[in-house]
Amino acid sequence: MPRHLRRWALNGAAGLGLGFILLPLLLVMWLAFFRQEIPSFPPEGYSLKWFAEIPGNRAFTSGFLLSLQVSIAATAIGLLLAVPASMALVRSRLPLRGVLNTLLLLPLVVPGVVLGAAFYVGELELEMATEWPLLGSTIGLVIAHTLVVIPWAVRLITASLGTLNPTIEEAARNLGATPLTTFRRITLPAIRPGLVAGALFGFVTSFGNLEASLFLVGPGQTTLPIAILQYLAWKIDPTVAAVSLLQILVIGIAMLVTDRFVKLSQVV
Amino acid sequence: MSLGTQGHGTAAGLVTPATIFVVLTLLVPLALLFRYSLNAFVPGQFMVDALTLENYVKFFTDPFYTAVLWRTFRIALLVTVICLFVGFPLAYVLARTRSRYKNLLLIGVVLPLFVGNAVRAAGWMVAFGAKGVVNASLMGLGVIATPLDIMFTETAVIIGITAVNLPFMVLSLQSVIEGIDRSVEEAAFNLGAPPWRMIGRVLVPLAAPGIVAGCILTFILGMNAYATPVLIGGPRFQTMGPLVYGQFVEQNNWPFGGAIAFILMTATLLLTMASSLLLRRRRVAD
Repeated sequence: MPRHLRRWALNGAAGLGLGFILLPLLLVMWLAFFRQEIPSFPPEGYSLKWFAEIPGNRAFTSGFLLSLQVSIAATAIGLLLAVPASMALVRSRLPLRGVLNTLLLLPLVVPGVVLGAAFYVGELELEMATEWPLLGSTIGLVIAHTLVVIPWAVRLITASLGTLNPTIEEAARNLGATPLTTFRRITLPAIRPGLVAGALFGFVTSFGNLEASLFLVGPGQTTLPIAILQYLAWKIDPTVAAVSLLQILVIGIAMLVTDRFVKLSQVV
Repeated sequence: MSLGTQGHGTAAGLVTPATIFVVLTLLVPLALLFRYSLNAFVPGQFMVDALTLENYVKFFTDPFYTAVLWRTFRIALLVTVICLFVGFPLAYVLARTRSRYKNLLLIGVVLPLFVGNAVRAAGWMVAFGAKGVVNASLMGLGVIATPLDIMFTETAVIIGITAVNLPFMVLSLQSVIEGIDRSVEEAAFNLGAPPWRMIGRVLVPLAAPGIVAGCILTFILGMNAYATPVLIGGPRFQTMGPLVYGQFVEQNNWPFGGAIAFILMTATLLLTMASSLLLRRRRVAD
């Protein structure tokens, strides 16, 4: 096969793969503009009216707000825990370092549904022991989501720390900087790409998390992905497609912004 | 803070909060869940304290539940194989391209990962419905006279999970292919190897770590899929993930739900370990 033909075949196969990944998103976005309510093809016409329906749907609006609160809180707490832990994992010769590293990455490996069931049981037992109404509360969700954020943050921050030469930090210390100043003036700016990436990946995994939250939501206390799931289990129409389109836009913009700080090709 | 020159004390202090958090919110609840799975379930009384294996016995002796486990395994395996073949060309092009749009292509691969499985399942619902894109196009072309039943079939679920897992495979493969020096490919070509032999003898062996990692990740995610089987498979299509949720929330049978959760987790881990050992031995044998 001549070289340019080979190239075409390769690019074609790659394009098919990418198309397959993107196809469901494109179809949902297309449906959001249909004039008729039933998703039948070809569409009878196009309309923007479904976007006006969203503010009136309490499950979607309150779900969006709850998801936003929970993911921001979980990302902040997750970073506060993950940054010092990553420093220790990369810069020290602690015994059991490998074990600790595995432990912090473990939430990525445990199946989402098992994670959800375990949270449910854990929060139930705590609630019975202390009479603190944790199940179905925002705090209960934040705790669970923090656990989901931690492995992403640790993974990206340790990777970023690994590329930073420790002698630079030592030089700062030798010149008289306190450990805190060294961290603030040398380490933190140097690992900023890893921090931004860790925060973004933590945020979006938390925002999109479905399985681990399923067991923890209460009546009138539902996150956006679960509101979408419950709606879809009932029916699919342009309203839910319009909500999905907004979610795709929010996440897409977040990724484009992150790409300005840190090249995605270096973190994924 | 260069911890190398300081004692273990500071480092231990830094890593302790995160460790305690993960132990308290992951390991302790998992242990509790395991303890629940050894309890008994009496209809009307919910959970009764006991120390019994009857939930596990019930799962493995009831053909309904073993069929669910087998179906889940079959789907995960098929999805993994399809992802490998569909993902490889895309990963290769992504790794080798010098296009200025490389980051945009990467975002195209990564974005769906974060959009959530429910939204992506919605896309396939648009495609597979009786009046969906696929049926409407096929009927418009005169290929079929009556709409095909695609929704709520195993094929539809496999397509859905494949699309969900494909980005993970592509990213795993892309990162190793990027590390392979392009000149080894050129060398194989210059020595007269046809493309398929270059791929079989040079590219695949060198990319093996990424292939193994990608397959394992894809398989685990396939075993644990939840939203895709629920939405595309419909309420009567059972795989392990939805089964755990159903037992917990709909049946309120926590002991049995806990047992199924542990069977799912153990099966996934064992199969993963077995396959990675097998693959490693084959690589040594080669």
